[in-house]
Amino acid sequence: MATIVDLQEVTKDYGQGQALTHALRGVNLVIEAGEFTAMAGPSGSGKSTLLNIMGGLDRPTSGRVEVDGREISDLSNTELGLLRRDRLGFIFQSYNLIPVLTALENAEYVLMLQGVPIAERRARVREVLAEVGLEGLENRFPRQLSGGQQQRVAIARAIVSEPALVLADEPTANVDSKTGTALLDLMHRLNEEKGVTFFFSTHEEAVMKRARRLLQLEDGVILNDGIQTNKWN
Amino acid sequence: MIPRLAWRSIWRNRRRTLITVLSIGFGLACTVFFIAIGEGVYAQLIDQVVRMQAGHITMENPGYRDAPAVDLWIKAPESLRLQIEKLPQVERTKLIIMGQGIARSASGDVSATLMGIEPSVELDTSPLVRHIVAGRYLHDDDGPWVVIGSELAKRLKLAVGKKMVITTNDAAGNLVDELCRVRGIFETGSVEIDGYFIQAPIDFARRLFVLPEESATQLGVVLRIPEAQDFILREARLMVAGQDIAVLPWQEVIPEIASYIKLDKGSNLIFQAILIFLILFTIFNTIFMSVLEREREFAVLLALGTKPVQLRLQILMESACLGLIGCALGLLVGGLAAWAAQVWGIDLRSLLEEGFTISGFAISAKMHARVTTGLLLGTAGLVFGATLILSLIPMRRATRLSIVDQLR
Repeated sequence: MATIVDLQEVTKDYGQGQALTHALRGVNLVIEAGEFTAMAGPSGSGKSTLLNIMGGLDRPTSGRVEVDGREISDLSNTELGLLRRDRLGFIFQSYNLIPVLTALENAEYVLMLQGVPIAERRARVREVLAEVGLEGLENRFPRQLSGGQQQRVAIARAIVSEPALVLADEPTANVDSKTGTALLDLMHRLNEEKGVTFFFSTHEEAVMKRARRLLQLEDGVILNDGIQTNKWN
Repeated sequence: MIPRLAWRSIWRNRRRTLITVLSIGFGLACTVFFIAIGEGVYAQLIDQVVRMQAGHITMENPGYRDAPAVDLWIKAPESLRLQIEKLPQVERTKLIIMGQGIARSASGDVSATLMGIEPSVELDTSPLVRHIVAGRYLHDDDGPWVVIGSELAKRLKLAVGKKMVITTNDAAGNLVDELCRVRGIFETGSVEIDGYFIQAPIDFARRLFVLPEESATQLGVVLRIPEAQDFILREARLMVAGQDIAVLPWQEVIPEIASYIKLDKGSNLIFQAILIFLILFTIFNTIFMSVLEREREFAVLLALGTKPVQLRLQILMESACLGLIGCALGLLVGGLAAWAAQVWGIDLRSLLEEGFTISGFAISAKMHARVTTGLLLGTAGLVFGATLILSLIPMRRATRLSIVDQLR
């Protein structure tokens, strides 16, 4: 299997002097294509920091970060932007859809940035929206959708460009448990059927159980990293 | 999609957008209207003054401005006149003899300016003709008849048909006098003109000042198109090249009016600048607030891979949309109001019964605006251009924000 993410001795510090905080302390991590990995840990354990560094949204203080075979620590902001656009998908805790764009336009946005012709991108987006169960809701604006539906649009936006890796920051935290389960089912299905690589952070037991691989992060250090076998895997 | 995003974003907060657009529109409309009124009053003033005097362009002896005297007359102006009148921008030319003297009657004497004119030309061009309140204006064959101002008539206790004597120095410096009669009395509202100004047929003036046939102290040129002044000035200077004749624009002949306009425009400019500053402040405030409110959204767009230049383009388009709608509204309202004021005028005669005077020249209390494409496009272009420049600051802020901080 191809390596999508390779972190070597990654550290991240915030602040200076007495206010210095070590958010990550020498993290080593390899994510392979096709994985469905969850990262658990209490608040302040460094989950979001690790996701941000893997997604090229933040830079490590030290260590080596390789995404899709490319060392990213020294890339410029513009190069990082292009990497995110072409190789990564993001799902945020609070959906973060663009309120003035419809579900279809939100999902289409990254393809537009990539310069995919309009007819092709519309066809792809409709297909993906149907896959995430939003057929018939394409022209609704985010405010006209429920929380679960909005997160489905966010998932569609993250996967429509077929990225190497989808990073999800607590994707079920803002929805009820039933909707959360449905979203996990969806991501699981996309992983199994389409081979989309997912890496998500969570602090919910139910979500952790669904992951094939589970990392335990605490005080910026990965304490456990193991493969889980359960009824879903 | 970026234009769509920009367009929908500005309508996200409809009330704020409407207030902004209305502010731009109102401010621009006021600016256009007041500039048009100002330009109209200036044009009216210039037109009345130059037509009463020697026109938009004056051709005279080069020494006349420094020491005005009838001995500094120009020879054979008729051939020059024929050449000038061939230019299509020229409405009329007028021969003038301008001199000083003392007007005397049985009741007293008053120092006065005597202007020898061609009555048939003045009848077509001079606003003085419309201000005759007693008797009539002069005709070419009137001989020793003059028109005088109402104040002068009052001081010398003269009425239409009455005799007066004008005493002056002729071109050779000799003391001379001529008897004449009052053909008409004018009243312009200006103390200077009504109290000290006399017009007489040019032949009478030549006889009085003992000047040869066809001589004149000035050859004036009245333009059909005032904007053509610089062109005609150049053409006229080419025509008199090598001759002892100076060609002057009205601004040098009547500098007090030119200075007044310059000064008035300067003070208006301050008022207009304040108005435009307020418009621009409103626009800046709206764009900046709109960017501040959406920092998280911009962070998401950047996280998804939007290039900073695309984000800048979106903000620029939002500013451009606000500017365009506001400017279109302002041009429509301000342009229509100014156009109406140009066609029908604003009648202030109920407030200023006798009109008003500027540098001794009476101006009608019915003001007409003057709208030009340059005024409309220039003012709107200034506001629109400044709007785009002002969006640089919010643009910079949006593209420099920390994605991580905003998404936290």
